[in-house]
Amino acid sequence: MSKINRRDFIKIAAAASSVAALSFPSIARAGAKAKVVVIGGGYGGATAAKYVKMLDGNIDVTLIEPNPIYISCPLSNEVVVGHRDIGTLSIGYDGLKTRGVKILHDYVTGVDRARKVVNTQGGKTLPYDALVMSPGVEFRYVGIEGYNESMINDIPHAWKAGPQTLLLKKQLEAMPDGGKFVIVVPKGPFRCPPGPYERASLVANYFKHHGKTKSKVIILDANDSHSKKGLFNQAWAKMYGWEKEGLGTNGMIEWVKGAEGGAVTKLDAKTKTVSSDFIDVKADVLNIIPPHKAGKIAADTGLTGKEGNNFEQGWCKVEPMTMASALDPNVYVVGDACVAGEMALYGNPNAAFDMPKSAHIGMAQAKVAAAAIVAKVNGLPPPDPIYANTCFSIVGDNYGFSVAHLYRVQGGTFKYIKEGSGVSPMAMPDKSPVPDIYRKLEAEYADGWLRNVMADAFV
Amino acid sequence: MKLKLCTLLAILGLASGATPAADIEGIARACNSCHGTGGVSVGLSMPSIAGLSESYLKNIMMEWKSGTRASANMTRLIKGYTDEEIAGVAAYYAKQPWKAQPQSAPADLLVKAKEATERCETCHGATGGQPDDADTPMLAGQWSRYLELELVKYRDEGFQMTHKKMIKNARKLEEGDVATAAKFYGAQSK
Repeated sequence: MSKINRRDFIKIAAAASSVAALSFPSIARAGAKAKVVVIGGGYGGATAAKYVKMLDGNIDVTLIEPNPIYISCPLSNEVVVGHRDIGTLSIGYDGLKTRGVKILHDYVTGVDRARKVVNTQGGKTLPYDALVMSPGVEFRYVGIEGYNESMINDIPHAWKAGPQTLLLKKQLEAMPDGGKFVIVVPKGPFRCPPGPYERASLVANYFKHHGKTKSKVIILDANDSHSKKGLFNQAWAKMYGWEKEGLGTNGMIEWVKGAEGGAVTKLDAKTKTVSSDFIDVKADVLNIIPPHKAGKIAADTGLTGKEGNNFEQGWCKVEPMTMASALDPNVYVVGDACVAGEMALYGNPNAAFDMPKSAHIGMAQAKVAAAAIVAKVNGLPPPDPIYANTCFSIVGDNYGFSVAHLYRVQGGTFKYIKEGSGVSPMAMPDKSPVPDIYRKLEAEYADGWLRNVMADAFV
Repeated sequence: MKLKLCTLLAILGLASGATPAADIEGIARACNSCHGTGGVSVGLSMPSIAGLSESYLKNIMMEWKSGTRASANMTRLIKGYTDEEIAGVAAYYAKQPWKAQPQSAPADLLVKAKEATERCETCHGATGGQPDDADTPMLAGQWSRYLELELVKYRDEGFQMTHKKMIKNARKLEEGDVATAAKFYGAQSK
């Protein structure tokens, strides 16, 4: 589809850099094709594999992913409430195969970074010139006394799409009117920052449409603020009787912040009662989202941060120009497993300066990594990166909104570009309410966005 | 060697990002996420932008940037890009091949649409495929859901659009003809 070919890319990269005369060391071995191995076939890994191949068809690209079908997390909250079939979120790897990417359905057991080889459970040893690490997240079943991984078939997280999504759907449908649907949100960073609140909105919407209006959605949040908070509160007031923060309000949605007892520390699995220092809540449907860290293989490979560093602990630090690991120039870490953004401000709950863990930004990172790899293979400097993100949330009938992020690299560090970022308006410039059409359009665009990101990554 | 290169890049303003030469292809790769690889959308509510005229693409982005034209989200994103980058991206997508999306419409709708779209023909051409000038977008084979939403925008007084003639004509359409007109143009995919 795209007409960019290798020669064009190299020409353009050279022109853009205006340092074509400089000789960058090429990583391709004399007489052999350069080899790129991608670990992980989610949005980040699939996009990296596709774009490396698109930008330079001469590079040998292998993507390693255990599962034959990928199920998209974005918009999977719509599956929970029956607005969308999970089939629309499912996609295989034939599109990438057609583009010449080799697909290996296998499980990576280890990476030897000194020898630059990847070993798999199936007994394969794959050498690489550049490795793209895109393993996503692994859950940490810690911090809640009485809770562990063996319980997820009764207490689903539904934070990796698939059977878990369908299980939560089933539990929602079986819940009697007057019941409590409790969502336990971990301390950030977690993938899809607006996700828990979108889920709460759509569950309330489900109650409205299924005669279960005496039911409640209770969000117990380890954090003291959340993504798109103003927009969510405004929408909840409009559609779900939202009054104010705290437990025991009249609306269908209740949100308890960490400082006021939202940080759950204990579970009685038998009665599905979750507790913090201040409160106990007995749930009818209990949805615990565990805290995250980078996928296991990233840690096993030695790419994650050291103990004692709050923000990088369990995550992978990257070079802003290329997405190469800060610890290994031949390994590129993209997607949820990395930390990126304006790190000086990272961790401030009111600031959106860190890159969110979203499919869209994972794809942006993957495209930057792909361009940097292709440039390096061809002895060119990396082109100037652009990291753009758009996350849509659907919160009711014909009601959606979004957040956009834009980052560039300035002075060798990530720079959040405020002018190209921000959330949907809360009010018009003259302070009048936002016309309904804005919310309707964004609900419509969410679906268009989904189909395009899936195709841009996998087809 | 490495240190020398870094120094040189810094002098050239490349590593510092002072005002580096824009990497238009890189920006376009970012646009692809929502608008489809190479600007060919597979999302019904998202327009294909490959092969649209450079002038149309540039104008619409500059109107969003200056704030004269409303968008539910493009107005926010576009302000992060320089005028030169916007011009570059417009030129880039204009050069990509237009790919009409095969969409069908029932025969009776197509007959009915003939009348409903009469007023559109003056500028967009008989099947929406022969726009009058470079500022008028191609409609034939564009996603009909997107076209319908555009008409809804033009017809909504709370949504600030810029093209006076288009606003006037979109509001003259009968309510029931909005989807009909959109489906008609979507189906002109040859």
